Amino acid sequence: MTSAIDVRDITKIYNPNSNQPVKALDNVSLTIDDNEFFTLLGPSGCGKTTLLRLIAGFEAVSGGEIMLFDDEIENLEPNRRPVNTVFQHYALFPHMTVAANVAFGLERLKKPREEIEATVERVLTLVKMKHLADRHPNQLSGGQQQRVALARALAPSPKVLLLDEPLSALDLKLRQAMREELKQLQKETGITFVFVTHDQEEALAMSDRIAVMSDGEVQQIGGPTDIYEHPVNRFVADFIGDTNFMDGEIVGFNDDLVTCRIGTQSMFEAENSGAHKIGDQVTLFLRPEKITLSAVDDASAADTRPGKVANIVYLGNQAAYTVDMGDGIELIAQARPREDGKLPFTLGDPLAVEFSARALRVLAQ
Amino acid sequence: MSDWLPKSAAGKRWLGLAPSYFVIGIFMLVPMIIMGVFSFLEPNPYGGVKPVGSFAAYVKIFFEYDLEDQLVFNPGYINIIFRSFQLSFGATLLCLVFGFPVAYYITLQPENRRNFYIYLVTIPFWTNLLIRTFAWIIILGRGGVIETPLLATGIIEKSLRMMYTDGAIAIGLTYSYLPLMVLPIYASLEKLDFRLLEAASDLYANRFEVMTKVVIPLCKPGIIAGCLLVFIPCLGAFIAPNLLGGGKKLMLGSLVQFQFASARNWPFGAALSMLLLSAVVIVLIFYARAAKNRAAMEGSA
Amino acid sequence: MSDQMHQAAANKGKKMLPVGHYRGLGAWTIVFFIFLYLPIVVLVFYSFNANRMVMNWGGFGIDWYLKAFQNDDIQKAVWNSLIVATAATIFSTAIATIGALVLARGGNFRGKTVSLGLITLPLMVPEIVTAVAVLIFFSAIGMNWGLGNVIIAHITFCIPFAFMPIRARLEGMDTSMEQAARDLYASEWETFRYVTVPLLMPGIVAGAMLAFVISMDDFIITLMVGGAGSTTLPVYIYSMIRRGLTPEINAVCTVLLFVSIAIVTAYWVVSKKSQTDTVH
Repeated sequence: MTSAIDVRDITKIYNPNSNQPVKALDNVSLTIDDNEFFTLLGPSGCGKTTLLRLIAGFEAVSGGEIMLFDDEIENLEPNRRPVNTVFQHYALFPHMTVAANVAFGLERLKKPREEIEATVERVLTLVKMKHLADRHPNQLSGGQQQRVALARALAPSPKVLLLDEPLSALDLKLRQAMREELKQLQKETGITFVFVTHDQEEALAMSDRIAVMSDGEVQQIGGPTDIYEHPVNRFVADFIGDTNFMDGEIVGFNDDLVTCRIGTQSMFEAENSGAHKIGDQVTLFLRPEKITLSAVDDASAADTRPGKVANIVYLGNQAAYTVDMGDGIELIAQARPREDGKLPFTLGDPLAVEFSARALRVLAQ
Repeated sequence: MSDWLPKSAAGKRWLGLAPSYFVIGIFMLVPMIIMGVFSFLEPNPYGGVKPVGSFAAYVKIFFEYDLEDQLVFNPGYINIIFRSFQLSFGATLLCLVFGFPVAYYITLQPENRRNFYIYLVTIPFWTNLLIRTFAWIIILGRGGVIETPLLATGIIEKSLRMMYTDGAIAIGLTYSYLPLMVLPIYASLEKLDFRLLEAASDLYANRFEVMTKVVIPLCKPGIIAGCLLVFIPCLGAFIAPNLLGGGKKLMLGSLVQFQFASARNWPFGAALSMLLLSAVVIVLIFYARAAKNRAAMEGSA
Repeated sequence: MSDQMHQAAANKGKKMLPVGHYRGLGAWTIVFFIFLYLPIVVLVFYSFNANRMVMNWGGFGIDWYLKAFQNDDIQKAVWNSLIVATAATIFSTAIATIGALVLARGGNFRGKTVSLGLITLPLMVPEIVTAVAVLIFFSAIGMNWGLGNVIIAHITFCIPFAFMPIRARLEGMDTSMEQAARDLYASEWETFRYVTVPLLMPGIVAGAMLAFVISMDDFIITLMVGGAGSTTLPVYIYSMIRRGLTPEINAVCTVLLFVSIAIVTAYWVVSKKSQTDTVH
């Protein structure tokens, strides 16, 4: 499989000659496949937007190489790179109509007039904005501007489309609708999308693969389920979804499971994920949805643990329960409201807490 | 405490504006009207006017009386007017070409340094124009700063005679009003969203096209304002043409002043002033039109 | 490989400039500032010329400063300039302040645009035309108050210069401050006195300084409107230049230059400070 973008040992340092140089990217390498929806995910300041801007060419790299379909591009000016960007706040030219904005790139590429007109019409139709072609950007709503920005970046048929948090300025409903559309658009056009976001839900919903970044480094690259179910470290596990962490020590092995001591005497079995030995300090992690809560009297299975409701946060379609497991351990778990809308447990209720050892994973500390 | 203030909002409003209306109305608007009237009167040889209606002042711009008392076309004044426009236009162009890159460069700097640059641009502007223009005599003049070393080293053999030329006037005018070009252009560039430049280069615009297709169209209001601020005072300039043109190369401003100081032909001076004023009004009308079209074209948010 | 890629090969090795940057801009700016400051440097330099002729360098000396300070005519001219500029500053700033308050805070009303046009009228009209009009006006009504005529003319054309920074300041000011004052039981007058004016002060100071410098700098209007006895410094300098060039002019000009620079620097510091103080 050809790689669309191959980032090799990229470093970016801001103000390198000042007394406060800032290292935004530290030796980052990653490969983005052709026709892939690839997401750079991380908190603000993690370097994801910097990486996108280096690929687009708005800033020069401090070191390393960027390959675009096997061509080296890191020293090219942005107008010589066959990639296009959808900007966070759209950056639509206020002095041009929608159609002129969309035609801009094609005109720079000296395409024939007829082809430009046809392409503008095609991409505006694609994003359902054809009827507003003669408007100026400041006469459009946020969602409409977003579509125009998308059309403008798609019009020159870039080899890779770069999207810099394009949905962040939209309200919730529109954002969710646009997720579907973007994903759809990527499949239709067959163009590689590189999408930057800090919203993990967005990343999970849209991406083929995700690179989780933090402090200028890539923490993990993988498919959405991979990242969610098998995070390589505490940062990734914590950043993606809600998580229970328990710090403890490995005290024994049992086939492919490890036994850990948490708190003073609580023992938990967990799936091993790496070379650990007895005495290692580790973190166990457990997704809340993997925990089943039930009332004590109808608990039949023997492998449940006792707990007590310590706090309840009502979220509408479910409730998040903080369960006191004793020995200083607290777990977050979920339960759905009953059909009459009442919550199944109230504060102080004793609970039977059940989860499989396969759901518990060991992370290196 | 505020009993003496009018109660209604409209009353307060007009009370607040009254002093401005009074001063500018009486000492600016009314004088200009009187000036208009004077331009249609006959001159009094000892200064002032005789209360007799006449178009003589306007006729004098184009014609003179020959020995047989016949009106013949006299291009003298027309030439001066034409030269004034030419020099003003040239100086405006020089200011634009010289000033735009500087305004742009300042915009690229970090914010605290930008302010310092702007401060540096304004300092000469607030020092006496007469003095600064006089300094150009020392620079350009015979035995001045430019000539002396060139003569001494034998690069040139005799004086370049830079003073008292159109070139000297153009330099003086450019120098006088350069900050007035830089400041409005800077003000509009400062508001420019630099992400638009990135978007343009992302869409295959080269550096030249980024400038011509995005930067210049978006800071056009600043460029136009700068050109107006330079062009209008250039038209009526007195100091630069007088000191650097040596009184031989007259411009409109000097010609007007001459009518009051020496020639004692007030109606002619008033007529020339009216001409100057109408030129300014025409330029401003074009400007207002352009601004209105722009606003209509870009729509409102 | 695409076309763009081929060009890339040619460009390889050359470090790209960030978007929006152009080569040579810095050098151009340096030339610009040399052009702007060369006359000033030359002027100051020649003020220390010991020779009688400006153009001929005769060694270093401060004789011309001493001469200039002992010159009664120069002292009289400086005095006149200061009187005119002070009077023009006080009146034009006061008039401009209340005008700006109405235009920036009075809401939309009929005649707003016209009022704005009228106040900025002296900016639009070439100075020579203003000079002619005012000269004709004073002579037509037979008003001959000497320096008084000059002061009135200066007040008139200084109004827009004082007006602009004050209005800019007002428009940048958040009305919520005034609303908060009213909410806390301040009367309209108290709100104005204790909230609006203190917040507006940097704008008023800036406007006043601008008016002062503009008035001190004015030449053509004073030349035409002022009679004998109302010679201001610029008018006196003009007559010196016409009579013949001695370094005494340079000395006077240098002193004037540094006074101007001091005022502009003070203005700059005040406006910078006020930005950090109150506008967030």
